[in-house]
Amino acid sequence: MRSSVSYILSSSTSEPNMSHPDYEQYSHDHAALLVLVRHIGNQLKPKIFMKFYDRISKINSVKITDSTGIVRNILIRYVKEHPVENNDWGDFQTHRRLLGLVSLGKYDSQQELNEICRVHESFKVKYNSTLFDSRCILFGPTKESESPADDSPSSGSSGDSENNTDYVIEKFTTPSNFKTRALFYDVSSPCVDLESQLNEFINSLFWVLESKRLERSREKLERVSLLLAPFEKKDFVGLDMESRNNKKRCTGRMTKHLGDLCLQAGLLCESLAYYSQAAEILKSVNDWLWLGAAYEGLSAASALVLYPEMQRNISLHRNASLQEGSPRKSSQTPPATGIVIKKVVANALAPEEMSRRYREAIIHYSKYQNAGIVETEASFKAARIAVEQNHALQAASFLQNVVYINLTLSEQEKIQRFETLADLYTQIGFVRKAAFCLRLAATRYVSPQNPAPNWARCYGLMLQSLSGHHLTLDPVEMREADQGWPALQIQLIQELVVAARRTGHSALATRHMTFLLQTMWQHLSSTEQKELAMQLQSLSAQCEGSPVPLVLDSGLVMPPANLTDIPVCASFALKDLQPHLRPRRIECVKQETGPFLFTPIHFGGGSLDRRSKKANAKMDFLWVKNEVCEVQLKLTNPLPFELKVSNMRLLTAGVVFESVPETIVLPPDIPTSLTLSGWARENGELELSGYSTHALGVKSNCRLRHMRSPATFPPHYKVEVVPSLPLLEVSTSLPRSATFSNFHDDSTVTSASTALYHGESTQCTVTLKNVGQVPIEFFEVEMNSVLDPALQEQIFSWDKEEVENLLPIAPGHEGSLVLRLHSSANFLAPNVAVSPTIPQDVSSGLFSSMSASIPGGSLPSRINSSFRSSNSGQSSLAGGLAALFHQHPGTSVVEGQLKLRYSGADGIAADYCRSCSVFFMLEMLPSLHVTNWDVLPAEVNSQFYLVLDIANLTNQEMELQYTPSKTMLIEGQESCRVPIPVDRCPLSKLCDLYHELDDNTKNDVDINKICSGHITQLVDLRWHLLGTGSRGVAPLNGITLTSRMLDIVRMSPLDWEVSLNGDMVRTQEEVSCEAGDCLELKMSIVNSLEKTLRQLTLSVQFYQDYENGSLNYRMDTRLAVAGSTKKILSVLEPHSKANHECNVIFFTPGQYKMDIQCCAPDSQSVARVNPLLSTGHTWRFTPTILIQVN
Amino acid sequence: MAVCVGIIGKDNSPKFFTCLNPAEELNFQYKVLSALDVVEEKLNCGSKGATDLRELYLGMLYTLETHKIYGYVTNTKIKFIIVVDSTNMALRDNEIRSMFRKIHSEYADIVCNPFYIPGEPICSKSFTGSIKNIMTGTV
Repeated sequence: MRSSVSYILSSSTSEPNMSHPDYEQYSHDHAALLVLVRHIGNQLKPKIFMKFYDRISKINSVKITDSTGIVRNILIRYVKEHPVENNDWGDFQTHRRLLGLVSLGKYDSQQELNEICRVHESFKVKYNSTLFDSRCILFGPTKESESPADDSPSSGSSGDSENNTDYVIEKFTTPSNFKTRALFYDVSSPCVDLESQLNEFINSLFWVLESKRLERSREKLERVSLLLAPFEKKDFVGLDMESRNNKKRCTGRMTKHLGDLCLQAGLLCESLAYYSQAAEILKSVNDWLWLGAAYEGLSAASALVLYPEMQRNISLHRNASLQEGSPRKSSQTPPATGIVIKKVVANALAPEEMSRRYREAIIHYSKYQNAGIVETEASFKAARIAVEQNHALQAASFLQNVVYINLTLSEQEKIQRFETLADLYTQIGFVRKAAFCLRLAATRYVSPQNPAPNWARCYGLMLQSLSGHHLTLDPVEMREADQGWPALQIQLIQELVVAARRTGHSALATRHMTFLLQTMWQHLSSTEQKELAMQLQSLSAQCEGSPVPLVLDSGLVMPPANLTDIPVCASFALKDLQPHLRPRRIECVKQETGPFLFTPIHFGGGSLDRRSKKANAKMDFLWVKNEVCEVQLKLTNPLPFELKVSNMRLLTAGVVFESVPETIVLPPDIPTSLTLSGWARENGELELSGYSTHALGVKSNCRLRHMRSPATFPPHYKVEVVPSLPLLEVSTSLPRSATFSNFHDDSTVTSASTALYHGESTQCTVTLKNVGQVPIEFFEVEMNSVLDPALQEQIFSWDKEEVENLLPIAPGHEGSLVLRLHSSANFLAPNVAVSPTIPQDVSSGLFSSMSASIPGGSLPSRINSSFRSSNSGQSSLAGGLAALFHQHPGTSVVEGQLKLRYSGADGIAADYCRSCSVFFMLEMLPSLHVTNWDVLPAEVNSQFYLVLDIANLTNQEMELQYTPSKTMLIEGQESCRVPIPVDRCPLSKLCDLYHELDDNTKNDVDINKICSGHITQLVDLRWHLLGTGSRGVAPLNGITLTSRMLDIVRMSPLDWEVSLNGDMVRTQEEVSCEAGDCLELKMSIVNSLEKTLRQLTLSVQFYQDYENGSLNYRMDTRLAVAGSTKKILSVLEPHSKANHECNVIFFTPGQYKMDIQCCAPDSQSVARVNPLLSTGHTWRFTPTILIQVN
Repeated sequence: MAVCVGIIGKDNSPKFFTCLNPAEELNFQYKVLSALDVVEEKLNCGSKGATDLRELYLGMLYTLETHKIYGYVTNTKIKFIIVVDSTNMALRDNEIRSMFRKIHSEYADIVCNPFYIPGEPICSKSFTGSIKNIMTGTV
């Protein structure tokens, strides 16, 4: 756009130049009358002056009816400053002439009044060449009585004053040297007629202008003198003024001048006509400068036609609070008429044309270096029109042109230029460009060329330019948005820091630097990071940064900036209390059911969702009031030097929390763990949202939600704080165990271990001391182990009443609890008769669930490991250990956990308790072992012998007491056989079973159980190790008996009566007879059961016992039986008797035995089910009858 | 021969920036940033019409005393900016166009790279190399 001929055509800069650009101009100002409003004297306060200035500026459009009756719309532009040099350009563009002067002054005395008048007159002289008229608004001393309702006056002095209506007309006639119309007002009064006075003033201006216009228009165009722009004067020296060309030039210029005047006088149509006429003439004579002016005038007039509202909108915007009497209302109507005019007015330009003309005008101006300011102003005006037309790109190109115009301007004007540019760029939405201009303006304020650097203004402009760079002052928002150009943003913030520092706002400088580090960290190189961190450190040495909003003088609030990532927090983990300190629910209804709580179905979406949801969730543990709560942080120092972070505390919400400040020195780049601790002083919900730090001299509140770390944190962690709970210190009388626990319940506080031989017992005193603050009012003891509950009860037992009597334990007091330990074991070797079909609970099943019972020990470790996975499953092991059943018991270790649950005071009310546990390790050494057993009929029918092969598994001599009176010594590792007389199992214990004898095949098992119980009850094996003095018992729990054994063990359900030759046969009695004698054998059986027996087979059998283990049943040659040896009793009613008789003759002498037995038929069914079992119930008459035949 | 090439993402944040003279990078960044205003304005005007058939090449955005700035916007609103020295008269509009087309295809390649996350700043060395080649016209 800018032509390169500018330098060729323009003359030297020594020429009078319009050196004060007016960037605020609109094209509409071409039509406005320029009025200077001056503030005179010091008495009038600037604020009041501004108030009146605003009021005066509202009168920017006045309707005046001219002599022909046409209403003219006269625009007025008020300025506060007007360089007198600009008047020189009045011929070129008439709107540059100052036509009116209004001065405002306040006086208290005549002397001051005189001074104001003098100054006013001096202004009149200054602008003498162009001034049409002037007014002087004078504010006299305030008279309180005059306006009692008014606000208190600013000046308290009282004195004589003129009434506001009292003004003196001294125009033209007054001989005094003050020839201006003075308007006297009271500062605090409403000054009602001010507007009408000003209207009148404008009228007078208009009429003078109108007369001038008429005077000019009546001049003969051929005769007019050449109008010149100030710098042109020298150019035309020596030129032929009479040439045709020059004549045309004169005419063209005058026509243009007329256009200006018409425009100002409100004659749009005329002005348009003049302008277009002038443009044609000037174009023909190549008078570029004036041609440009003509085009500009044409465009300005057209703009006035098309957009009459343009400037007013802005002024309306400027004075948001308009009052009555403002011309706004009157100007509301024109739009409609404007459109009409637009159609009617000839020569008016179309919108596109307007811009084109402006462009041409600017190009023409650009040919003259001295017209730089005109060009600049024209560019701004054109841009404003483009803005109005909504042609952003066009506006941008006009604005872009401004930058190229080379002007010798003061720094202040250059700054203004950039500010105006920024303002316009903002209007067209070019925020980046606007920001760029603002930044340039800001740098100009403090540039070395600027004689009066103003850092405060620089800072203010820098702040304004932030938004254009996508920068917000809130680091949180900034980090979320994360956009913009980091390199530029960094530079801008750095400049901001410098500006703030130079302005003297160290707090702001620190704040901005903190902001820079916080938001731009990732875009900084490591050296930059280091340097900036050092800078921050030195800045904060002047003013410490703290996380509070700063309020600037301008009212802008600077949000706090926190260094959340210096140091970087890699993890923020709330620590649960030590297991034994954890509060637990007292009412714990639901026990863990096992390790297999797994569902493949993920409720609530994908696994990722779930994880994040989990992170937000409340912590699943509890903290206790007044007890140390800890949070573990893992911090990394991202800076290459040692970073001291002091005063680190937890940020909490919710209940009152007392945090302990921590200080840590972080070496570069090594993750360091740190524990922050504190006490919750209330119970309730505690919210942990982060921590506060003091690093690099800046105090920061590092909230988790603001952190940008590798780990994503939830916005806060919540943890429930429960009321205070007591605290127990537990010790035992037994030595602690060397190894600790296969249980991974880590609430274990102490341990106890001892070794016991199988069957031995001991006691352990558990001492409980309350070291907490509150008494223990609730106490519960429980034993946990992997053992079967019944077995566990045998091994560990305590007195429940004693536990109850302990309470309460006051703080600092002790109580004790006695725990009895018993080494319970299976003393029986697996019997041959034991078959898999016999369930283990009948045999030695109790022991099958014992932790280990194998010597040799490779297996126990395996089992132990399996315990770990199933610590809570108390009976799940039974099956797994079944294999051990056949093994000989050896040394085994039983682990138990004495679980103590206690609570007190508020804790109980809140239903919380603590739980701790004592770990018991009981090594069970083998003492004796029953390797084999059998039963033999005893000499009396009511008893039987239990024969046991007992092995002493210890290395010591053992004294075994197997009946109350009999003892036996067994050498170490020796074995011996002992017969123990035992009463037979009475029918009373068994009778229940016989009721269901018929249909229940299981009853064998039950009988077995009962009989084994019976034996266990009666047999009392006690042992005493002579070496160590240990004593113990060896119960025969779970002894298994075969069916044959059972028949011996239990009493027969049949009462036998056997007589030989009429004599009742007694036990232990030998019957003797002669060979050949006939023995009459009578027998009767009585069913002593409450139940009918069916299909009984009673049989008699003779045999010879060779006493060497072989029995001879082939008696055919030795005896003969008369009568049957078998009798089948189909039914035997309860308590009924059945008889049988037969005779026997022995052929040869010798010793014979007679076996009488009775078989029950249900044996068959049992046999069918399991042939391995005995052949059913056979009840014998015991002992067998011995017959000595002589 | 271009002096500077910038690739700007949808959110008007720079994704890639290179210039022949690294010392001037900051200055160029200011220039390119300012050019975005014009790009946005042009896009806004375009959006009123048929957006689908929009010409990707925006032409010259604006001229500075020393440089000319050209713009190109993909259909996904990725902006390519080329800064050319004003004194360089050799470059014609067509050549600028072809430069943009080459950059576009390079960009398409980088987006196809599974290791590149769309929206992240591009820091591939080979990409930088190819862009430099396009700038210097050695392709």
